[in-house]
This record gives sequence, structure tokens and C-alpha cells, in this order.
Amino acid sequence: MKKLIVLLLLTSLAFSAYKVTDILRFIVPTGWPTPAYDFTQNPLSTDKIALGSALFYDAILSRDSTISCATCHSPYSAFTHIDHPFSHGIDNKIGTRNAPALMNLAWSTSFMWDGAIKHLDMQALAPMSNPDEMDESIKQVVSKLQHNKRYPILFFKAFSDSTITGEHTLKAISQFMLTLVSCNAKYDSVLRKEASFTEQETNGYRLFRANCASCHKEPLFTNNQFENNGLSVDTSLHDMGRMRITQDSANYLQFKVPSLRNIQFSYPYMHDGRFTRLQQVLNHYTNGITRSKTLSKPLQEPIVLSSNEKVDIIAFLYTLTDKTFLNNERFAYPKNILQ
Amino acid sequence: MRIPIFLLLLASTTLMSAQTTRIIPLRFIPTYDRNHTLTQGIHLQDSSFYSNDKDSIEIRTLKFYISGIQLNMDSDVVWKETNSYHLIDASNEQSLSVPLTIPIGIDFKRIIFNLGIDSATNVMGVQGGDLDPMRGMYWTWQSGYINFKMEGNSPLCKTRHHAFEFHIGGYHCPYNTFQCVSLPDHKAKEGINIYILLKELLSTIDLARTNQIMTPGKEALWISKEVKKCFTTFLDVR
Repeated sequence: MKKLIVLLLLTSLAFSAYKVTDILRFIVPTGWPTPAYDFTQNPLSTDKIALGSALFYDAILSRDSTISCATCHSPYSAFTHIDHPFSHGIDNKIGTRNAPALMNLAWSTSFMWDGAIKHLDMQALAPMSNPDEMDESIKQVVSKLQHNKRYPILFFKAFSDSTITGEHTLKAISQFMLTLVSCNAKYDSVLRKEASFTEQETNGYRLFRANCASCHKEPLFTNNQFENNGLSVDTSLHDMGRMRITQDSANYLQFKVPSLRNIQFSYPYMHDGRFTRLQQVLNHYTNGITRSKTLSKPLQEPIVLSSNEKVDIIAFLYTLTDKTFLNNERFAYPKNILQ
Repeated sequence: MRIPIFLLLLASTTLMSAQTTRIIPLRFIPTYDRNHTLTQGIHLQDSSFYSNDKDSIEIRTLKFYISGIQLNMDSDVVWKETNSYHLIDASNEQSLSVPLTIPIGIDFKRIIFNLGIDSATNVMGVQGGDLDPMRGMYWTWQSGYINFKMEGNSPLCKTRHHAFEFHIGGYHCPYNTFQCVSLPDHKAKEGINIYILLKELLSTIDLARTNQIMTPGKEALWISKEVKKCFTTFLDVR
């Protein structure tokens, strides 16, 4: 197999008056759409990404310095909280929705299961301020960072300004999250003609395209839309989904279509993490659909799959596992900065 | 002594601009009603209680965004502020006065501005200055600026500490709370004075029933329309 290295970030050097500044270009994988994120408003740099990585892994963002972003978004599970339907935040409080995987965020047009957040830069504010997650205000975070030994220097390196602001804090966190691109699964190698599917995977891919791909659209495996996928209402939560944001009953029980990349390692599944295995997910689509007014159109007609076909689809879904993403040193805890 | 050319250029442009523009302060003056003008910069939490006929109301927080300031001569726009976003905070005297740098010779009859932040800016990436989320005027649980924030106490509110809280925002139709205010100018020597008659708003709200509005929706839209009515350039003491 020809070894191909996708260069995500091309480094060029530009000389400014005082120091050498890295200017990084975000590389869009071949065949992928244009990112939704406007990089001209927050141009990537090595120092900003490094600062963002430190902030992502630092519990200083929480009220009592116990919870960091990485607490619920661990790199080895595509930045979700493996095995946790709901994550536990500050004081062991439990949330009400499953922590989503973080990847390919540059292409996301909205964030959170209900699309409450419209821009990546603003996303970090939500877990930071949520009383069950980090329970801290951005104002307080900025003040703590300013009085920390480490951060004024890191902010100066990144933004040429050691006075810390909410804007710079959020932009740096965005920069790190934007680098979390997963585009090196077996599926991608097959598309690039460097590998080939097994017979079972080929059949699974065919079935996937016929039954799943209208919502889980390639190559990102999401259409960035909101759908009611026929889950029965959990009466202990009464989560109305997107309707909470739009207050429009047409959006009742609609949730954001998640990407299926790295799905093998991002269980449990669904907005409330009710399924732990992919087999359960497929059984839901064939036998478990709860019909209601807002049920997604593609699910109006029953999906019929034999158990062998389900196994084949799962074999295909495993080809979306990107080992180079899951074990990427660049995304790991920044020991050199935080210790 | 040699003077660098750029310094000469800088000096001349400064002089030129000093000659061609003037600064008109646009002052926001929160008041209760036409008889109770609060002096500028008074901290609302230090001020007295305001009797609202059957109620006494204390206002602790009054913050709102003003954007897109422009001056009109009849229907023609004669001047527009660029990058015009201002957070007005009644507890921060400095914020109550917005200096408008206007070319000399421009005459105007009306002052027009928006109350709140336009929908495009609401969904943009993070901004600095007055739009920085650390100013406490950006919702965290969903995207969007709080256009108008008023918090206080009233014995009518059967809430903890008799508190009322209005965080008014929302940029989506049909509940877009972004409001345009258009007022006549009175050619005051000291600048443009804009009074905010809070009684106009407080007398329309039944605080016993409505004391917490923290999300976009019908009620927020209604409040935003009432807030709009509080602004006046004409203080006619009765």
C-alpha cells in the first residue's frame, strides 16, 4: 500500500519585526466540502493551537479546577466520554445528554445536540458555564488565567498581547478544536484507491448507502441537519430536542445527525447514550421506530435488513475508524506546557 | 534637528482631522420617569427605591447594546458610525456617553440606532471589545447576545429576594428582539441626550406575574418593543 500522508497543516514562515511567526494553512482533504469555519477571522498559528490545547486540557476552566474539556472529551474515544451515557461534571453532577465526539468541527454548521450554538468559537462557553459541567463564567476564567504564572506568556506568544480577553481565550480553544480532523480511516484509503474493502465491507457499504446515507452523508457522515430518528421519549428526561431552541413544534424530538466517523470507539450512542452497541442501533432502525408527527422522512418507510446484512453494515462502519486520529500525538495532553 | 517625515505626516493628518471633524457626545441617561432624572453615572444599586404607585422598585442592573448609530436629515442618512457596537451599562459612567466623531458641516435632525445586536453578528465568531462574551451579555447555553438586561427587586415578585430578571434577546424570526429607535434631535449644546424612561417599561409589566424572562420567545419580543418606547430625546417635565 502506498503510504500517503495527508498534510493537514502546511507550515510556512513569515518574518515579523520581532519574531518568526508560523502561519498555518488548513488543508481540506480531497473531495471534502469547503469548511463552514471562516479561518480569515481566526488564522491558525502554532502558538495559538498550542495555547488552545493547554486550555482544552486544563481544569482551570472549571470553578474548582477539577474538570477540563478533556474530562468528557478524551482523545482515545474521538473526544467523547466512552462508556458514559451522560458525563459527570463538577461535584459529580450528571448531565442530560451524551457528550458528542469532537472531530471535523470546521465543517459543522451548528453545535450541541439541539444546535443551540451557532459558531464554534462560542461552543466552549456552554460547558464552561453549565452548573453541572464546569460551573464557571468566562469572566472568571479570564481573571484566573491572567493571574496564572503560565498563561500571560502563552497568550503573548499567541496573540502578541499578554492581557487576556474572552475573545482570545475562545479563539485559541477553537484553534485546537479545528485541528481535530479525522480523514484517514480505511474508508478514506479505499476512496483514495490505496486499499480495498473486503466482500463483507463492500456489501455493508452498499446497504449503508441505500439505507443510512441520506442523513449520514459522505464524506463527513452527517448532513448537519436535525432529525427525529424515532427514539421513544425517555420520560425521565422529556428532552424535546431542537424544539427547545426554536420553540417550533415542527422541531419536536429532532436532534442533530451525528457523524459516524470513529463510531466504533465513541459508544454509547444517541443523544441520551441509550444504546451501547451498534447492533442495538441497527435493531432500532429496523424494529424500534416510534412513529410521530416529526419522524424523519427517510424513516417513514420501514428499513428492512437481515441479521447478516446488519453485521455487514457494522463491518463497514468499522472502516470509519481512524487510528491516526485516535492516537495522534499532536492531540494528546500537552505535557511540555502543562507540567 | 531632523524630524522624520512620517511624524510630520502624522501631525498634519491629526491637525487636518481636528479641523474637519467634531465630537458630539451621545449620552444615555437612565431615568425613572420625567420627574426623576438620575444624575449621570449614579450607581443604580446605590440609588433610592422608585415608587411605582403601588410598588417600590429597585433596579440593580441595567445594561443594553446600542448598534448601527446613524444621523439623518429627514429621510437621508448623513452620517453612519462604522463598526458601531456599544454596551451601555448604567453602573459604568464611561459607557453612558458615546463620542460620535462627525465631519464639520454635517447637519442632522434625527438620531437613529438599533437596540441590540444584528442577527449576522449573533452568529459570527467571537468578537472583542464591547462584544466580548466576558462582558456578560452573551448567552452561554445557546448562541446569541442579550440585547437588554434589567435586574432588580420588587415586593410584588414572589421570588427569592423578590428579584426580577429580564434578559432580553433572540435574533430569530418571529422572535427577533432587535429594535430600531429613531428620535428627533433637539440641538442641545452639550450633545445628544437620550433619556430612558424606565417607568414606561415597568408600568406595563405585571411584576407579580412576569418577573423572569431569560429566553428568546414571545415574551422577550414583547418586552423588546416596550423597551424601545422608553427611549426619548425630549424630557418634558410635568
